[in-house]
Amino acid sequence: MPSRHPADLPDPLAAWPETIAWQPVSHRLVWLAQAHLLAWSAAALLVCAVAGAWLGVWPALAVAALVVVGTAVRAVLIVRTVRAWGYAERDADLLVRHGLLVRRLSIVPYARMQYVDVTAGPLERLLGLATVQMHTAAAASNARVPGLSDADAARLRDRLTALGELQQEGL
Amino acid sequence: MTAVTTAPAQRGLSRLHPLTPLLRGARALAVIVAAISWQGYAQLGLSRWLLLVLALLLLALVLAAVSWLVTGYAVVGRELRIAEGLLFRRHRTIPLERLQAVDVVRPVLARLTGLAELKLEVVGAHKTEAPLSYLTLRQAALLREHLLTVAAADWVPMPGVALPLPAVADPDAATVPLMPPDEITLPGAVPGERLVHAVANRRLLASQLLTTHVWVAPLALLAVALPYLESPVWTFVGVASTVTALGGVLARPVRRIVDDWHFRIGSGPAGLTLRHGLLETRVQTLPARRVQAVGVTWPLLWRLAGWVHASIDVAGYGAHDRQAETHVDRLLPVAAPETARRVVADVLGGVDFADLRPIPAPRRARWLAPLRQPRLGVAVPDSVLAIWDGWLTRELVLVPYARVQSVRVVQGPLRRALHLADVHVDTAGALRAVATHRDAREAYALAEEVSQRARAARSRSV
Repeated sequence: MPSRHPADLPDPLAAWPETIAWQPVSHRLVWLAQAHLLAWSAAALLVCAVAGAWLGVWPALAVAALVVVGTAVRAVLIVRTVRAWGYAERDADLLVRHGLLVRRLSIVPYARMQYVDVTAGPLERLLGLATVQMHTAAAASNARVPGLSDADAARLRDRLTALGELQQEGL
Repeated sequence: MTAVTTAPAQRGLSRLHPLTPLLRGARALAVIVAAISWQGYAQLGLSRWLLLVLALLLLALVLAAVSWLVTGYAVVGRELRIAEGLLFRRHRTIPLERLQAVDVVRPVLARLTGLAELKLEVVGAHKTEAPLSYLTLRQAALLREHLLTVAAADWVPMPGVALPLPAVADPDAATVPLMPPDEITLPGAVPGERLVHAVANRRLLASQLLTTHVWVAPLALLAVALPYLESPVWTFVGVASTVTALGGVLARPVRRIVDDWHFRIGSGPAGLTLRHGLLETRVQTLPARRVQAVGVTWPLLWRLAGWVHASIDVAGYGAHDRQAETHVDRLLPVAAPETARRVVADVLGGVDFADLRPIPAPRRARWLAPLRQPRLGVAVPDSVLAIWDGWLTRELVLVPYARVQSVRVVQGPLRRALHLADVHVDTAGALRAVATHRDAREAYALAEEVSQRARAARSRSV
């Protein structure tokens, strides 16, 4: 992934998190994220329209312009946000990283898995995507991989449960 | 259905103690009086008020008696089964593998009648699972032993953890008996249990006098009283609200003193045993492998006296505690640092936190934490991860690698600009273990090291 857009990674952190063979999530996640963004900005514009009828046209227009610009910037950034998602299955743990502004890396051992969720909303199903989330006994653990193709999601789920059973230990 | 609705005695379930309805009724009395309130008393007059209270009390007693009749419990194999409810029948099966801790609680009334309440802490439950109230003290102790034995049956202790500690001169060296006087004759002590430490009551009192709550109270009183001195008009509402506010401020230190009176820490084959309480006594038994983390705190005012506080994190405690602030249970309400070293070492299998040398956070962390930076530190000794933090109240969190659930590295925009990152170590408990403002490269290396060590610790303990 760093090789694809080196401009993203000005930090000389070519140490171990970069040496992992990160698996990207499906590019269709971009469309899903764009759809969400459009829905939100449409709602925001609607609020602007209603508020404009009450409070005057110019302030509402100004806010609406801000919403449009914000949406445009976000729409461009979404591509990079989706590219920032990555996961890697190692021998004993699952690595997940994401985030453009706030970068997060999670290391979750299979042995700590309590259960695995595979979820897919209507839009996700339309795009043939699913989200796999691994839960541990710690509420703060965050091992969620969105935007996996159905086949990938099923494979990851099966692998996680198989490895989890193999290495299971309670708390 | 008939089999389900029959009385517990016919299905091999044991009933709770016959005095249970009376104790529950007595408990209801306080609620009833509070509900009718003094305003109701003023409106009804004495005789009718008494009559109403009596009628409600009778109702409560009857309800409690019915609930007692239909409640039963039994230990079947590796499960505890509890059946309760008349209209809505509930059969709960608690797998004992998930048992985190067992508390024997004795409220004042239960102590007067020789009874006790057994509380089980189970992961994933939102409240304390099925408090068995009330049993005789003997029954409660026997059941606790049985539950803990069954729960621990599949578990082999970690090899080679009991390191001999260097003898430290301990000013708190205990010469007190393990049990508070009224419990010496009762079967509360587990065979093979030894006293690790007893907290002196006068030190507990002194430590609670050294809290901000106590020091702020007179100042607040002064602020309220000054205007009165100029124009001494004593209104009832003014005085009453001041007293109430003062009571609210002082409630916490007072509750600490009442809760932690006669604090004794024992260690035995079943794990750690904490005994404490002035009015309501509580005996908590925590299997050693259930300890998710241990915290040591140096509160600002206590540093004058050189005292520390130690807390212990057990999954399940805290998910439901009355006060959000006591999410993590205390291990030592107050102690000299040497004592804390000894007790923490006892809990964590020989880790002496005074010997740990923190790796400091880089100097550039001052941009984000100007005051805390010199206090931030991390150490990675053999069996635990140690994290130092805090400026006014210094804190040290010790997490055994074997309890680590997951590790995260989080790096916000500011930290990225400064080449810093935070390492979060998640356990099933409530104590936050976050190594803040580490050098980014070091943070990733630390995350990897912790997860490797956690893996090694897991394979050792299975």
